Amino acid sequence: MFTLSGYEYFLGFLLLAGAVPLLALTASKLLRSPGGGPERRTTYESGMEPIGGAWIQFNIRYYMFALVFVVFDVETVFLYPWAVAFNQLGLLAFIEALIFIAILTVALVYAWRKGALEWS
Amino acid sequence: MNLSEGVQIVSFVVLAALTLCAALGVVLLEEIVYSAFLLGAVFIGISGLFILLNADFVAAAQILIYVGAVNVLILFAIMLVNKREPFAPSRNLWIRRSATAVVCLGIFALLGTMVIATPWAIAPSPGPVDTVLKIGIHFFSDYLLPFELASVLLLMAMVGAIILARRDFIPEVTIPGATSEPLALPERPRELPSERVGS
Repeated sequence: MFTLSGYEYFLGFLLLAGAVPLLALTASKLLRSPGGGPERRTTYESGMEPIGGAWIQFNIRYYMFALVFVVFDVETVFLYPWAVAFNQLGLLAFIEALIFIAILTVALVYAWRKGALEWS
Repeated sequence: MNLSEGVQIVSFVVLAALTLCAALGVVLLEEIVYSAFLLGAVFIGISGLFILLNADFVAAAQILIYVGAVNVLILFAIMLVNKREPFAPSRNLWIRRSATAVVCLGIFALLGTMVIATPWAIAPSPGPVDTVLKIGIHFFSDYLLPFELASVLLLMAMVGAIILARRDFIPEVTIPGATSEPLALPERPRELPSERVGS
């Protein structure tokens, strides 16, 4: 049984946001003039000439940033319930959360020392 | 105010159809980049199902972690090795396909019997309203050790990922006669300023 409140607005926003690109594409399809040469099929019409394909091999540095991001993303998700329940929890929980953050600070220091956060 | 029964059923059907179709696309599509994007659609559909099950925090975590981080990581991994190669068609393909089908059907049957056989505990009363508050209180009372162990696990994941991604331990050995061209990554592990100073 669904008991969460406030989700009717969420559903309304979802439907509205889904309708916007659909309406925009349909309207431009109905309104535009037919035809058009080979320029219409380029990536940036009357813009820059694209060089090479769009699917290229990525730099491995992006992967390092993504890895570091995953770890701190999970940390944020773990710390959010602590922040919400902060008033109900005592000093002990505060110290435990500090331990949690300290262990992950070790990870941050390690990544920093190993140069995973630098671009160069 | 709450969603009516009909809206919930329609939402469930739409979400289940989205999840199933996207999962089928992940498996069946030839282009691996499309599969990765459809995997994101699967995760979004599952998070919608979580919302329908009153688990709003789990749904938000699903979108944040799986769509925002894990799927991006998978996409980066695909783009990192996105090399078009003309693969030769392997012989006796039907044996592999039938073996895969047997294994997959076996797992499906196993999971199906488990779902049917498990006595699901369905709470007669509606669940707690403040789910995040409940989760926070549980984190710091009876699930404290898993909470702290999660940080150690994240630390281990980070260290392991950095070591693997930097590939310092791969020896620089070139076998005479073998061309290193197909195996070479486009990116060399870069020289670190700290290493240059230290060594």
